[in-house]
Amino acid sequence: MLWSGQSGNWLLQGLITTLELSALAWLLAVFLGILAGALRTVPFAPLRAIAVFYVEFFRNVPLLVWMFFWYFGVPPLLPRGVQDWLFNHGAEFWAAMFALAVYTGARMSEVIRAGILSIPRTQFEASVAIGLTTWQAYRLIILPVALRLIVPPMTNESLNLLKNSSVALTISVAELTFQTRQIETYTAKAIEALTAGTLIYLVLCLCIATVMGRLERRFAIPGLISRVDAG
Amino acid sequence: MKKVLTLVLLLAVAAVVAAPAVAQEGTLDKIKRTGVLTIGTRTGSPPFAYVDKQNNWVGFTIDLVEQFVVPSISKEVGKPVKLEKKESTPPTRIPLLTSNAVDLIAGTMTDTPQRRESVDFSLTFFYTGAQLLVKHGSPIKSVNDLAGKRVAAQQGATNAKIIREKFPQVQLREFPDQPAAFQALVQGQVDAYTNDGIQLYGLKAKAPKPDDWDVVGDFYSEEPYGMAMRKGDAKFKAAVDAGLKQALESGKYFDVYEKWFGAKSEVPYPMTPQVKTYLLKQVGK
Repeated sequence: MLWSGQSGNWLLQGLITTLELSALAWLLAVFLGILAGALRTVPFAPLRAIAVFYVEFFRNVPLLVWMFFWYFGVPPLLPRGVQDWLFNHGAEFWAAMFALAVYTGARMSEVIRAGILSIPRTQFEASVAIGLTTWQAYRLIILPVALRLIVPPMTNESLNLLKNSSVALTISVAELTFQTRQIETYTAKAIEALTAGTLIYLVLCLCIATVMGRLERRFAIPGLISRVDAG
Repeated sequence: MKKVLTLVLLLAVAAVVAAPAVAQEGTLDKIKRTGVLTIGTRTGSPPFAYVDKQNNWVGFTIDLVEQFVVPSISKEVGKPVKLEKKESTPPTRIPLLTSNAVDLIAGTMTDTPQRRESVDFSLTFFYTGAQLLVKHGSPIKSVNDLAGKRVAAQQGATNAKIIREKFPQVQLREFPDQPAAFQALVQGQVDAYTNDGIQLYGLKAKAPKPDDWDVVGDFYSEEPYGMAMRKGDAKFKAAVDAGLKQALESGKYFDVYEKWFGAKSEVPYPMTPQVKTYLLKQVGK
């Protein structure tokens, strides 16, 4: 009965918001993660320091605080007119997206750094020896290999990102968890609403895990990752 | 194979039949066994229930429970009952109740027909209606001025629902708690904050500069506050109601009201004759 009428509509809207929020945040997080993860391994100290600062600062403060920071802390720094425009055009959504992306990006960068460090140092040295610049070595040799190695832990972070998106309800983003609570308010059917929300998250996470699993097999480098169950 | 299936089916049926039998210990029996009445209440809703400057958990609703409901229940179970308080917010209160984590929701919960499908309510112990809190000098004077404006509400509150249904042009922003919603109003994320009038007066009184804020508009909803309990527990409901009834009949209720909402209190909220009539009508006076 939750799938029909008003409640079903709300769940669907919540699902769409959750997906939009997570997808955008994921793209930005992966970008930030790769950037910071790579910078932490480059042979140039100031860049490493910036990356270390980013990672340690953002992953060690709770996500909830970041949500409040981007929503309550950032807008007052902007001119009044810009603030008003933002507040009329979904400031909550963008604040939540940035909070989620920057926070997850810091976590992902550690995964990526681990991937890069697992590649023997000699590969980098060999790339430089054949005349590649550092940038080229990372872009053509190091990152393509590292990214293939880190699919399983990245799956983990991606799932976390999806589930963490529910924190956005604290700054009034009408995502999935928000809508399940809304249904509870209107119908007082708390258990049903929670069950529906849980099932949707479960299905979403299983989908992501499946897609990432496929990706892993599709791009595996023979000999580097040996999956017992590959096939 | 067939035998196994039958066995599984039998077990499932047994579980379904047995589960309610185990869970159906009445609330009064539970209180008699444990000697404790657990209420779900608020920490940040002055003057109903809040933590004061001396770090005591106090308030109008808590006083009502302590002075009238607890004695009535003690009488019913035949032994003194201890009161235990737990934090419950609008999104968590019904789950807390249905999961037996608390026995009674005594905070600021509005008695609505939809909620009555899942929980039972005591007699009404307070009566208010939704209004708006705005910055002093704001052009917003009532709900009719809200078209296109950004309005904050509390998640799980009845007035958010009314705004959504009756004023669809309003850009509604829903926050989990009062402090976040008020912060959004202070910073200009929203143009107004809507909640039950008494809540807004409470917020205004607590604000660093109370004169910066105005409570505007007529009640655009009716919000009778009741204490909520698990559905179908007639004995427990009778005991809670008996306590409140005694308070109203003896007039002691109005002393407690005076303490929290009188002219000398922090949030003066004089009781209108209509509200008084409404409250007393419940006990046939």
